[in-house]
Amino acid sequence: MFEITIDQFSGPLDLMLFLIKEKKLDLFNLDISELTSQYQNYITSMHDMNLEIASEYLSELAGLIEYKSKKLLPRDKSQLDADYVEDPKESLVRRLLEYQQFKDITGDLEKRYQIRQQFIGKPLSRKELDDVMPDMLVEGSSYDLIRAMKKVMIRVSLQQPFETKIAARELSVDQRIDMLRKMINRFPASFALEECFADCSDIQLVLITFLAVLDMIRIGELLFTVEGEQIYLIRSTSDDGLYGNY
Amino acid sequence: MTDYTVIIEGLLFIVGEQGLSIEQMAQTLLCSEEEVIKAVDQLAVFYKGYNRGIQCVNYGGQVKLLTAPFIHPYAQQMLSIQKTRQLSQSALETLAIIAYKQPITRVEIEEIRGVGCDIMLRKLQALDLIREFGRSEAPGRPILYEVTQEFMDVFQLMSLDELPKLEQIVSGSSQELFE
Repeated sequence: MFEITIDQFSGPLDLMLFLIKEKKLDLFNLDISELTSQYQNYITSMHDMNLEIASEYLSELAGLIEYKSKKLLPRDKSQLDADYVEDPKESLVRRLLEYQQFKDITGDLEKRYQIRQQFIGKPLSRKELDDVMPDMLVEGSSYDLIRAMKKVMIRVSLQQPFETKIAARELSVDQRIDMLRKMINRFPASFALEECFADCSDIQLVLITFLAVLDMIRIGELLFTVEGEQIYLIRSTSDDGLYGNY
Repeated sequence: MTDYTVIIEGLLFIVGEQGLSIEQMAQTLLCSEEEVIKAVDQLAVFYKGYNRGIQCVNYGGQVKLLTAPFIHPYAQQMLSIQKTRQLSQSALETLAIIAYKQPITRVEIEEIRGVGCDIMLRKLQALDLIREFGRSEAPGRPILYEVTQEFMDVFQLMSLDELPKLEQIVSGSSQELFE
């Protein structure tokens, strides 16, 4: 009988609006007894299908049943006047109408969101800013970090070629040391360890690079220092390499 | 086009999707904001009128250059973009409520939606679509939320006034409800 499963609804109010529409109930003259039984039927059928039902749905169901049962009991008028509370029916209708408003806007928002994704921008021209960056104080939360990392990942994925050929590149540690020497000459006197891995496209190259760095430290071409969690390498000025290690 | 228009075009190219505010441009060009607004309008009209591959937009006060709508199929082809991002119905509802009622507390949002919104709010915060905006004076001083610049961008809004008016929606939707 019910084809729409509970996880398609974004909440109990969404479900109620669906039932009202489906059963052609009048929202402004709402028959809460009818809505309650429809709602209860639906929850029961979902339960029979072993679907998980969020507590919010049950809490609204309890509210509906409470209202329905109160209506069945004879009312003491004096008591009713004493502590006037908003008629639960009115309050439910008001909530449904308000919720419906926002629900209706989502279609418009969704459309705008989809169209916007077709407009593509380009990132800030970064090179021009590199000199400015070190002076900038970083203030931010973990959310900033997540966002920044996402941008990096996007950039990396865009750099991936459309077609990739896999070719094993055999590179000896000595060859890598030669490459690193050339690279390092372009770096400032001290630089972060990560810089050496900038051109590493696969894990094999990373390993060889690391071995090469270790070897260069051994022969005294590089010095290293640790500050916090960051490892810095320093180009040794002495060419004989005898005063190398810390 | 005036000189300002041409300079602004160049500046907008540099900043890319970050965009520039009218204020920033006025400070850079040492001219009044009115002059900047005029120049930006001219630039936007130029791109549109001459049917260029780039458009000049203003989302939430940030002016930026983006590709024109008809570029997208080619971009898809070139970058092999397959999927589009989507926001869930729950996310859109929560955003709509915040956009219309901001600043608003979590409990107020939950009252309207009838479901807990704790995780959703954190997700939206991580997406940079909403942010915390101080605290309410209500008991417990709950956190207030509002939408961000990023929200204005992803929904192509210059200001929140561009969202459809709520009253119109009520009449429209209730009719639909009883058809």
